[in-house]
Amino acid sequence: MPAIRHASKRKAPPAGFSDIEDDLLIFSNKMKDAENASTTNVPRHKVHWPIFQISHQRSRYVYELYYEKEAISKELYDWLLKNGYADAMLIAKWKKTGYEKLCCLRCVQTKETNFNSTCICRVPKAQMKEDQAIECVSCGCRGCASSD
Amino acid sequence: MLKSTHKAVAPPPLPEGWTEHKAPTGHSYYYNATTKQSTYTRPVASPAPIAPPPAAPLNPSQSFLQYQAVGSPIPSAGPGFNSFPQQQPFQGRGFQGQRGGRDDHDGPRNPRPQPTDKPKSRHPIPGCEPWVLVHTKLGRRFVYNTAKNQSFWRIPDKLKDGILQLDQQRIKEKAEALQREKEPAASGGIPGAAEKPATETREEQQNGGDAEDSSEYEEVEVTDDEEEENPPKRQRTDEDAPDEPIEFNEDDIAFQLAAMGQEYGLDPGEYDDGNMEGWEEGAQGLELTEEDAVALFKDLLDDFRINPYSPWEKLVEEGKLVDDTRYTALTTMKARREAWDEWSREKIKQLRELKTKEEKKDPKIPYLAFLQKHATPKLYWPEFKRKYRKESEMRDSAMADKDREKLYREHINRLKLPQSSLKADLLTLLKAQPLSTLNNTTIASHLPPAVLTDIRYISLDPAVRDQLIESHIATLPPPPASAAEEESEEAAKERMEKQRRQKALEDRERHVAEEKRRQKRNLELGKGRLREEEAEIARAMNVTKKGLKGHLMGEESAEKDS
Repeated sequence: MPAIRHASKRKAPPAGFSDIEDDLLIFSNKMKDAENASTTNVPRHKVHWPIFQISHQRSRYVYELYYEKEAISKELYDWLLKNGYADAMLIAKWKKTGYEKLCCLRCVQTKETNFNSTCICRVPKAQMKEDQAIECVSCGCRGCASSD
Repeated sequence: MLKSTHKAVAPPPLPEGWTEHKAPTGHSYYYNATTKQSTYTRPVASPAPIAPPPAAPLNPSQSFLQYQAVGSPIPSAGPGFNSFPQQQPFQGRGFQGQRGGRDDHDGPRNPRPQPTDKPKSRHPIPGCEPWVLVHTKLGRRFVYNTAKNQSFWRIPDKLKDGILQLDQQRIKEKAEALQREKEPAASGGIPGAAEKPATETREEQQNGGDAEDSSEYEEVEVTDDEEEENPPKRQRTDEDAPDEPIEFNEDDIAFQLAAMGQEYGLDPGEYDDGNMEGWEEGAQGLELTEEDAVALFKDLLDDFRINPYSPWEKLVEEGKLVDDTRYTALTTMKARREAWDEWSREKIKQLRELKTKEEKKDPKIPYLAFLQKHATPKLYWPEFKRKYRKESEMRDSAMADKDREKLYREHINRLKLPQSSLKADLLTLLKAQPLSTLNNTTIASHLPPAVLTDIRYISLDPAVRDQLIESHIATLPPPPASAAEEESEEAAKERMEKQRRQKALEDRERHVAEEKRRQKRNLELGKGRLREEEAEIARAMNVTKKGLKGHLMGEESAEKDS
């Protein structure tokens, strides 16, 4: 059994964490609510949508703070990634061209689909046949192509 | 007109012995003191002790008598001015002007119930002493001679001046009263401001009306002005209504608009006040450029003290900004988001700069203060920690738990020491401080952090300690002009640098001058040599016949010699 690590004995987060602490707390509260929300009468495929969405929002928040606003230090960013405040794999995708707005990693996982293709939300709006409102099966994304 | 609005018929007078009272419920009841009877129904003077007919016109014969009186111009109100029975003479008389002569015939045959009129107020007419001007309840008036007991509807010529004076005085008083009423209301805001001009115009109209009235006093006794005089009759009839918008004229509307505009801080251009030429410059002519719009939005963010670290979604969800007009300066959500990004970036940068400038506060200071307040030798560290685990000083992540424990134990140990040694320790601590941080200008509440973070500082009781510190500070010399010294040092350095530069410059100049001199000398030397040579050549060229002969001879002699 691993030793219990008491909160007071933990190493303090890097400087600057107090600035974003409140907003991260809001995200974690939202996440808790989403986790505890009842799933009765929710379609099977929609059950995890709010989880994906909140996770995406939080990752985006951290990503923007570090890469776009340069509001947090490298140490703090690493600490946040290490402590699960943001999805490092998703952020890694956002740095690639064409994936700047990617909603979730499942949507680009071609091996998981029947026709070895990406999710419908990856299709640019301009290329859609008609103006249909789509919500992707995996995370409820309404379109995350970079050109949208 | 008067009949239609006036309904109140004065209740018939009570018979003798009856008195009227108000019940706690508000009903009035009647009590007879002699018979000790009380009743809710108004006792009618059926026994008729004084026998005034309660509703005069009901009796045809009486009304006939009354209309007999119509012919005479005497209202005969005077003698029993305040007593009820005297009301009859007014009745037909007052309406004569409107009904014309027809009623003279109709009256006796089918008597209609008429409202009774009665005197309401009397004013002595200045200048004509025995005469008084009597206003009736229905707003008419007549003159009454108290000496001769005469009253006239038609005002005699000799009284006109006095009555005119009286009217003017009354109008003035009314205007003043209105003004006084308005003064508190005007500060209240728009309604007062809007009303004021309206009432004033109305007043002016009244004045005009009065002036007209005075010229035709004989003909018309019941004037509009007198209607105003009678507040219960002020229900507006249809004839009055159309006057209202005229009284509240365009000037007033413009005034009100301007007042509202000022209140909301609008430019005149933002509401249409009718006269475009009157607008101040920049009212509508200035186009809101894109940069302005963005700047406005940023101002909005500043004003609402938005946390620049927050995510954009949070801002949108909260919806605090939506109500502000500046929110609409940018029309699309995309533009807003861009403005937000830019703003937050700038803001975060500013905050970081501020933070770096701000001196770092030692977390030990609040913790030690906390220890001094709460630590006792009675509690072991785990107990103490458990007891105060929720305090911010105990949870501060900037300080390790180990350090806290160490400080606590040390502090508790020191608390067991004798006071004298504690005092001595504190003094040594204070003495150890350099004069630049601790001197006689130091305030006891703003000690240097080196003192505040020392365990020896909190060992003593604050009251004792503060006294000790103050006395110590008093003995200290003033602060050395360290800053000035440093500055002078810098200046000296600068000066030296400057001198060095100057010197170098001089050196170079000297060097150059020397060089120049040398060159000059060289030149001179060369010139001298040249001159010498020239002279030699000239001498050589300057061969005369004699010279040549001598030369030749010399050569010959030389040949001879050889």
